[in-house]
Amino acid sequence: MILEQLAGNLFQGVVLGTVYGMATMGLSLIFGVLKVVNVGHGAFIMVGAFTSFAVFEYLGLSPVFAIPVAFGIGMALGMIFYYSSIRRLLKGPELASLLATFSFGVILEEGVKFLFTSDFRGFNWDLGKIDMGFTVLPYAKVAACLGSVIIAVLLYLWFNKTRAGMAMRSVVEDGVGARVCGVNVDWEYALSFSLGIGLTVASGVLLTMFVSVGINPYMGGEYTLKAFVVAVLGGLASPYGAFFGGLVFGLLENGSYTLFAQIPGLEPFAMTRFFSFLILLLILLLRPTGLLKAK
Amino acid sequence: MKKTMFLALILSAVFFCAATVLAAELPNKIVIGNPEALSGSQAKAGEQAVGGIKATIKWVNTVHGGVKVGGKKIPLDYKFYDCESKREAVTSLLERLITVDKVNFIMAPYSSSLTLAGAPVAEKYGILYMDHGGASDKIFTQGFRYIVQTIGPGTRYHTGTLDMLKKKDPAAKRLALAYKDDEFARSVMEGTEAHAKKLGYEIVFKRTYPPTVNDLTPLLSDMKASRPDIVLGGGHLADGQLLTQQMADLGIQTKALSILAAVTLPAFQNALKGKADGVMGPSHWEYGVTFSKEKALKAKQTWVGPSQDEFVKLFKEAIGMDLRPEYHAAEAAAAVLSLVLAVEKANSLDSDKVRAAMGDLKFTSFYGGWAIDKTGMQVGHDMIDAQWQNGKLVIVWPEAAATSALQYPKPAFK
Repeated sequence: MILEQLAGNLFQGVVLGTVYGMATMGLSLIFGVLKVVNVGHGAFIMVGAFTSFAVFEYLGLSPVFAIPVAFGIGMALGMIFYYSSIRRLLKGPELASLLATFSFGVILEEGVKFLFTSDFRGFNWDLGKIDMGFTVLPYAKVAACLGSVIIAVLLYLWFNKTRAGMAMRSVVEDGVGARVCGVNVDWEYALSFSLGIGLTVASGVLLTMFVSVGINPYMGGEYTLKAFVVAVLGGLASPYGAFFGGLVFGLLENGSYTLFAQIPGLEPFAMTRFFSFLILLLILLLRPTGLLKAK
Repeated sequence: MKKTMFLALILSAVFFCAATVLAAELPNKIVIGNPEALSGSQAKAGEQAVGGIKATIKWVNTVHGGVKVGGKKIPLDYKFYDCESKREAVTSLLERLITVDKVNFIMAPYSSSLTLAGAPVAEKYGILYMDHGGASDKIFTQGFRYIVQTIGPGTRYHTGTLDMLKKKDPAAKRLALAYKDDEFARSVMEGTEAHAKKLGYEIVFKRTYPPTVNDLTPLLSDMKASRPDIVLGGGHLADGQLLTQQMADLGIQTKALSILAAVTLPAFQNALKGKADGVMGPSHWEYGVTFSKEKALKAKQTWVGPSQDEFVKLFKEAIGMDLRPEYHAAEAAAAVLSLVLAVEKANSLDSDKVRAAMGDLKFTSFYGGWAIDKTGMQVGHDMIDAQWQNGKLVIVWPEAAATSALQYPKPAFK
């Protein structure tokens, strides 16, 4: 019975981990290229969640269609925020960009609250489920997991096989050298910021495919916290590392629950957090650059 | 004779002066301060509470004619700020309301933890602190003297639910408790567990989850293995929605599922649609309850406030939306009504005197009964149980207030 539960939780952890990973790639991309820590990260995820809700509830379409819509909204928001403030703050103290991204988060939260009120919303996207014996997995979660993997692969291909992706990598490697070689560094900064925000907003859609309730303007806080942990696990400046970190975090969170549940007197859910952060601390001590180096 | 007349003259002058001084001391409005949760995790309930307070103040000022103190009818006024559902903001806003805005009384913010955060500040200034949405029993074990509760105590939330289920199916004994690790839910489950044991239930699963959870799969897989007949759990709306959806995802079918502070909100069913059918939850008030002035007077109870329909109309006007009030609005309204009655009874705006007057105050309003014990805890209000049936919320307990029979066992998740 315990082994069955452990297998079930680990499997669910992998599925959840891919979505966590996807939800963190944007954060790592922005930090990797611009060295800007987006503390408003969770609010962008929230925008994606509301996009998914609106596409499903008002247009009657599957949340899958909301992924490109959310990505487009995210890219547009990224461009607006970059050219309105981040660009001017890049050479300023780190605290300035930190406060700016915090402000973006608050603006988005209150803006969405104005449009949708503070109700906890959700939708019922039921595709059925598969009983695997040791666990039950809804197809909506399978779709979220596959969507995350596909987007991660597409990002990998874009970075490695396209000229624009390689130009962005060159800016990360050596900004001055890239400028000398004719790369428009300012445009690459704008593109990477908006791409990072686009990925983050799109990940909000995937999260609603995983859990389609609890959508409200202030839902982002918890995801911001988790995204930072996942990003540090995988290597803060590496989007692929973030994806890998997400998988590790999902496994740690879900797998450790079963183990802690065997110890009388312990509240296993509280202990999973303790365990996850303990592992994070150990990784920081033993491998400060994260499990994967920036790439 | 001259001496007597002189004495009478002196006494009249003293009384006249005293009355003049009292009248001069009375403000031209009585201000209720409120650091309410209008953003953050408790915003939804906070907005309802503000609507309920505004609606009741309008009724007091227009229909009741103001609050009668010292022979004068004084209108109520309302000063509120957004505490962002943050405990630290509650304390600083309370300081502002008391020392800068000079409010006469305080309405606590929604939720047990926010109410508890502000209680020491109200205590420091000796100002009456009306708890409309803090249900935890812990609030009343700290020795606070100025806090008065309108919402019922947490430990009694699920007692009616268990009585109902015991009556319906005495053979269903395996009970699982899965709830949020916060002040309110812990308090509720403490009372639930004690009552369940008294009724002979076997607690086969008991676990908490963190307040900001976004995946309950490990806990629910664990719970599924314990094969419960009945699941009682939750804490607030977001986790209540999550608990129900993920129970459906994992195919956990039980005979009954009752969730705290979530089920009776329309947002619960709006999000879950058919999955909400058969899910029930305790509530302090729902539209449709049958408390009325006629019934109260017939039972020789003191009645105060608008009728249920009058309150709904005032609430909609107050918030400027065609939205039906939920129990968060009704309990805040009842808290204002209790304050009005107590001020009139004490004939004073002094918090100590008003608090003393509240001690033996008993009344009925559209919200139901109201009475407190020595600690300020609500003891006069009975809870109801509601259940979603084919997309409609019906009252299933107590039998006297039920609008429909309990659907049992709970239908499978759709």
